[in-house]
Amino acid sequence: MNIDPAVWSRPALVAEVLRRRRDGLAGIALRISALDQPLLALRLERVLQALPGVVRMSFDAAAQRVRLVVDDRKLDLPRLLAACAGAGCDARPLHRDSQDDGDRRLLNRSLQRLLVAGVFAMQAMMFALVLYLGARDTTAQLFRWLGMLSAAPVVGYAAWPFYRDALAGLRAGRPGIDVPVALAIGLIFMASTVNAMRGGGEVYFDSVSMFVFVLLLGRHLALRARVRHRALGEAVADAMPILAQRRRGDGTLEAAAAAELVPGDRVHVAEGAAVPCDGVLESRHARIDESLLTGESRACVRRRGEAVAAGSIALDAPLDLEITRDVAASATSMLAKLATAAHGLRDGAADADAPAARLFVWRVLALALATAAFWLWRDPARAFDATVAVLVVACPCAFGLASPAVRTRGMAVLARIGVLVVRPQALDALADVDRALIDKTGTLTEPALRVDDIETFRGTPRMEALAAAAALAQGSRHPLAQAVLRAADAVGIPHAADVQAVAGGGLRGCIGGRELRFGRAGFACAAAADDDVLWLADAEGPLARIPVVETLRPHATEAVAALRVAGIAPAIISGDAPGRVRDVAAQLGIDDWAARQSPEDKLARVRAEQAAGVRVLAIGDGSNDAAALAAADVAAVPSGGTDLARTHAGLALLRGLEDLPAARELAVRARAILLANRRWSLLWNLGAIPFAALGLVPPWLAALGMSASSLAVVLNTLRIREPQRATSLPASLRAGTA
Amino acid sequence: MNALLVLIPITLVLAALAVGIFFWAVGHDQFEDLDTPKILPLLDDPPEVQSAQDQVRDARKN
Repeated sequence: MNIDPAVWSRPALVAEVLRRRRDGLAGIALRISALDQPLLALRLERVLQALPGVVRMSFDAAAQRVRLVVDDRKLDLPRLLAACAGAGCDARPLHRDSQDDGDRRLLNRSLQRLLVAGVFAMQAMMFALVLYLGARDTTAQLFRWLGMLSAAPVVGYAAWPFYRDALAGLRAGRPGIDVPVALAIGLIFMASTVNAMRGGGEVYFDSVSMFVFVLLLGRHLALRARVRHRALGEAVADAMPILAQRRRGDGTLEAAAAAELVPGDRVHVAEGAAVPCDGVLESRHARIDESLLTGESRACVRRRGEAVAAGSIALDAPLDLEITRDVAASATSMLAKLATAAHGLRDGAADADAPAARLFVWRVLALALATAAFWLWRDPARAFDATVAVLVVACPCAFGLASPAVRTRGMAVLARIGVLVVRPQALDALADVDRALIDKTGTLTEPALRVDDIETFRGTPRMEALAAAAALAQGSRHPLAQAVLRAADAVGIPHAADVQAVAGGGLRGCIGGRELRFGRAGFACAAAADDDVLWLADAEGPLARIPVVETLRPHATEAVAALRVAGIAPAIISGDAPGRVRDVAAQLGIDDWAARQSPEDKLARVRAEQAAGVRVLAIGDGSNDAAALAAADVAAVPSGGTDLARTHAGLALLRGLEDLPAARELAVRARAILLANRRWSLLWNLGAIPFAALGLVPPWLAALGMSASSLAVVLNTLRIREPQRATSLPASLRAGTA
Repeated sequence: MNALLVLIPITLVLAALAVGIFFWAVGHDQFEDLDTPKILPLLDDPPEVQSAQDQVRDARKN
């Protein structure tokens, strides 16, 4: 779609894109699909940095987004987009609602609380040290007060989320772990304050501050993991165009914001562009790609008067339609909302350690009560101090840190070997998986060309045709384009100018002043019928016919074997013809395969396995795998997966299948370390409680034990390392994932 | 004891200062992207970037 960037200066469109900030600057989110190519991304970053008016920017390679804070008096949208295009990155402004500032504000707030807790916990510890070293009388009293002063911001400000969540839990009638935690924080702080005021007894300001800090650290890590990867699930919403071409009364076109369109408007959709709103077709007939909506990757044909859904892509030719529903009511928006809701449910449900922790903390509170009762009966003077000591010693600091620390570390190590964890639970689930359902095309196999098969016309030399095709394919990430480049490895590739990709068609560009088309038969030569063959043609007709064969992806055999060793039984579930699937299955030694599987069949297979008690890992890259991916316990999508597939991914494989066995090994190790962490931290808490109840644990020992157990958990977590035989990502790929 | 009366307020002021600076940094998205900046200086200037920056510089002059 070639739209003059100047239309982005229209106020209605600018209002759709710019998000006003309180400081007078504006936020802009761009979707740039080239962002997963690290060198392009870094080049873009430099170009943007050099632009006047760009104040800040952040790149999110996984979500293919760039967020900018700009001074829009100095920089307008057309200039910004032109700069992106100049860097070789096609940028599409996103709707201002998709800048998800809510999540980022949440994260910033959490970071601020964490720091306040950290700084003042250190202060409190410093002051407490003076007490532990044996200060007496006025000095001791001074440092008690100073301790309280330092702990006050921690307990009053930083610990606020615990009070809020505890109250919310109580109101909802489902008190969670936050209730006892908030109670413990409040009780310890108040008891210490009472002791500080009356000038006798122990104070625990250092312990309570550190307790808050460590718990906040755990919460912050968990929140960051959730937020950082949520944007990835919004690909469906991103695909909705916000720019449309509206037909005026006299038949000429004008640019309009999609949000401005009302039912009755007539809209022109360019070849390869997405339909902005639901409508009925006015052109005689059109071929459209509805894969975003239905997962159907084949083109569907619509005739005049038939409905066309928002988000479908016009193939082959431009089309005209009359709008029947505005943007908010259109099918894709509804679908995106549904998907978001579904993910919200799944993500919220799985906090594995919550029940165990809740039980533990309630028991501790009961123990504290029992201690108080015992001492009130034996020696009321000691009841207060002994009860507080039990509460302090039993704080499940290390326990609360165990799960977030393991997840964060596991995700970082996985990213290093080329596996991005999109949903934090996927890491836990991967350790349990015992069957892999693998899609064939794009996952196990890739297209390849055999140079000898190339058939040329009008006396074109074979290598020249291949070189021309490679020149056009150079900028494209389509699997077929990559196959052409691999085949043309040793050939000198000429320079192609004005290369354009036409969705569902192919590539178009000029080499040596001659316009060439390369792609499907219908696109390249307009006449021939579509088949598995690529055509290279100029204005006069076809130049070359390049058949495509299928080969196993590199390392596919080793990966499948390694999965089997790891205890995951592989099965091939493909939509392809039985002959081809059988060949691939035989090469890989897989007995369990099924061909001609529709998206529903794949979904049914996942459900059937799950009903039999099997944990399923689904691996696929196509829109037709989306349903199966969404239903599986873990979904992995190799690089090059469609937007819809990526939306449902739990793991994104940057290279391919070959990294999965290492990821599984890591997940199992992470699980073992998590369990060990939990066991040891609980053991410390439970072991110390009896001594605390007898009044044998002085404050310095409680503080020492608490830090030692938290430190032990963190150090133990660092034992999650890359498996020996896993290969690290090459530096070029790593730059983009970091 | 007199030294304490000076030093303790100083530590408290320093802590408050650190928190203030940190809040400013968080508010200005300094913690948004901790990974890309470390790679940037290691890259060679690809020629296209140079030209794009030159264009921008020219645009500024004009």
